[in-house]
Order: sequence, then structure tokens, then C-alpha cells
Amino acid sequence: MIRAYWGKMRGTSISPPRVDALEILFSGLGGFLGLGLVAFLEAQFFQESDLLLLIAPFGASAVLLYGAVKSPLAQPRNLVGGHLLSAAVGVTALKLLGPHPALAVAVAVSVSIMLMHATRTLHPPGGATALVAILGGPKIQNLGYLFVLMPVGAGVLLLLVVALLFNNLIPRRRYPEFWW
Amino acid sequence: MSREIAPDAGAGEFPLSDEDIYEAMKEIPGYLDITPGSFRELYRLAYRLARQRLFQEVTAARIMTREVIAVGPDTPVAEVAEAMGRAGVSGVPVVEADGRVVGVISERDFLRQMGSGEANFMSLVAACLRARGCVALPIRKKAAAELMSAPAVTVHPETTVREVAEVLAAHRINRVPVVDGGGRLVGIVSRGDLLKALQGGVSP
Repeated sequence: MIRAYWGKMRGTSISPPRVDALEILFSGLGGFLGLGLVAFLEAQFFQESDLLLLIAPFGASAVLLYGAVKSPLAQPRNLVGGHLLSAAVGVTALKLLGPHPALAVAVAVSVSIMLMHATRTLHPPGGATALVAILGGPKIQNLGYLFVLMPVGAGVLLLLVVALLFNNLIPRRRYPEFWW
Repeated sequence: MSREIAPDAGAGEFPLSDEDIYEAMKEIPGYLDITPGSFRELYRLAYRLARQRLFQEVTAARIMTREVIAVGPDTPVAEVAEAMGRAGVSGVPVVEADGRVVGVISERDFLRQMGSGEANFMSLVAACLRARGCVALPIRKKAAAELMSAPAVTVHPETTVREVAEVLAAHRINRVPVVDGGGRLVGIVSRGDLLKALQGGVSP
């Protein structure tokens, strides 16, 4: 039984193949455009404001949206649902468990995963968004539930629009596989 | 170890290697976030479901043997036995002149009448050895109608293979005549026919 247990750690399959050079290029270009747009708007309009538009989890979403276009994890339902739900969970965890950050972080991520699974909106960057709500510093903490709409909701929509426009411009790509 | 998690394809299933899947994945541009191993497992389960669906949709008409050796109710049992022996079958339908199936005679019906109890071959052998001669004599003068199992268990051409299997199991029989709406013989499905259908992957 112990042998079987350790044996499982050897792995059973092989890594998927490397995508071709063109695919690598398109993935990079998409990421550049998506994050470029959000970062540009952030720099133009939110530098001096109490609001913000760009948070780190968007980098993770970009990997999926522009690098794994067909993945169920990268579809609009998952992108939008996963981020919004996790953001709300993060803010709630901060409000209820603020004095115990370690516990708040653990609970936020764990509840986010469960909620995303239950709603079929699993989107790994959502876990990061839940964390940012707690660890993002005073500026983000002061937003309260506004965090869910701004930066999370607004940023996610921008990434989605770029994904739709950019991916479908490329003959070999199509996006999304499903909306809802 | 890995075989426990992703067992090789079973009998009749199409074996697909990780390498096959890997090469196929390369033909699709764009990143597919599934490992060849997961895909193989998915494929195996989907394939099994597809087979089950086929098994439920395929009908008796598709797998039955159409050229059936049959006997009449008045055929003497010796002739019945000869016919069965020649054709190498272990049972035949008993059919009226108009084609209606009235019963089935199988090896077991002979054994039941000849042996001294259990309807199996070794009981008969035992009875023969003890009696210093064969004990077939009591049925010698009989006709098919007196030996057959009646009424015959039958199925229709549109009965699904799955139901045919259930009928065979429920009645503990090895073959079942296929009859049309008027009860007339159109074919016969044996356990062998079922097995062939399972192995060969009959399409509906």
C-alpha cells in the first residue's frame, strides 16, 4: 500500500507537445495587447486616483486567454465568474477575518476554489484575486466590495474584449469555445 | 503502477498509446490542456459508452442467423437428432407447415427424456453405463412435438440485442427463434451470434 502511494508520485503520462512557433508568437502578442491595454489605461487615468485597474492576477488570466485559448479554464464564463466570485470571497474574508490575515488568506482561497467548482467557473487566477483582496494593501482594502467591480470586473472585461477581438483575427484560432 | 490508474484497453477495445495521442495533439494547433493519459482514459470510457449504446440499438434482425434448420411437429425424433447432428447445432425450432414456431427441441430435451434425472450429458453416460446399453429406447417412437419445449420462447426482429441477451439469461436457453408478427420463423439468435456481435462491433 505504501509502495502504491509512493508509486503515484512517479507520474503516469507525458507532457503535452510544445506548440509551434507561430502559436508561441500569437500567445505572446495576445498577452502583450491584453495587459498592454489594461496597463495603459491604468497609467493614463488611475495614477492619481483612489481607484485602480491593474492587478497581478490578470497576468495569470492572460496566460489562459491568449496562451490556452481552447481550455475550459479560459472561457468567458470561467474568466468572469471565477474572478468576480473570488473577489467577493476575498473581500468577505478580509471583513470577517481581518485580524487574522493568515486564516483569512487560507479561507479565501479555499472557499474560492469550492465556489468556482460548484458554479462551473473554475479559473485559477481567481484564487490570486481572492488573495489580492486581502494582501493588496490599504488602497485595495479601502475599496471594500467595490473591489469586485473595479478593478476586478472592469479589468476582466477589458481582457475579455481583447481576447475576442485578437484571437478571432487569427485564422487558426477561435474564441470562445462556449460562452455560458 | 501506472497501469492501475490507466488500464490498457480491454478485449475488443481499440488500444491507443500515449504516443498516438501525443502525435494527434501536435496536429491541432494551439495548446490543449489535457495530458495524453487523461485523454486516453476519457477515450476509453467514451468508447465503452458508445459500445453500450450500440448494443442497445442493434436489433435481433441484424445479428440473427437467417438460414435456420427447423423440423416439423411430426418429424420422428431420430430424424430430428440426425438433422441436429448434421448441422452441428444443439437446438432447432419446431415449425408448423405454415411457418409458425410451436416449440424448440434442444439437446437438453433429449437428455431430459433419456437420462434418469439430471438433463446433462454425463448423467446420460452414467445411465448408459449402468444399464449395460443405451436407454434411448423409450423415446424412439416419439415425434418432435412430444419432446419439444413448448410454447417456444421467441423474440421479434426489432427486439434489441440487449433484450435478447436478457431473454436467453432469464430462460436459461442457448438460442431463441426470431418470429414475425404472425409467429412465423424468420431467423434464430444463438449465444454465439450474440458473442460475435459483441466482439465484431456491429453497427446499427
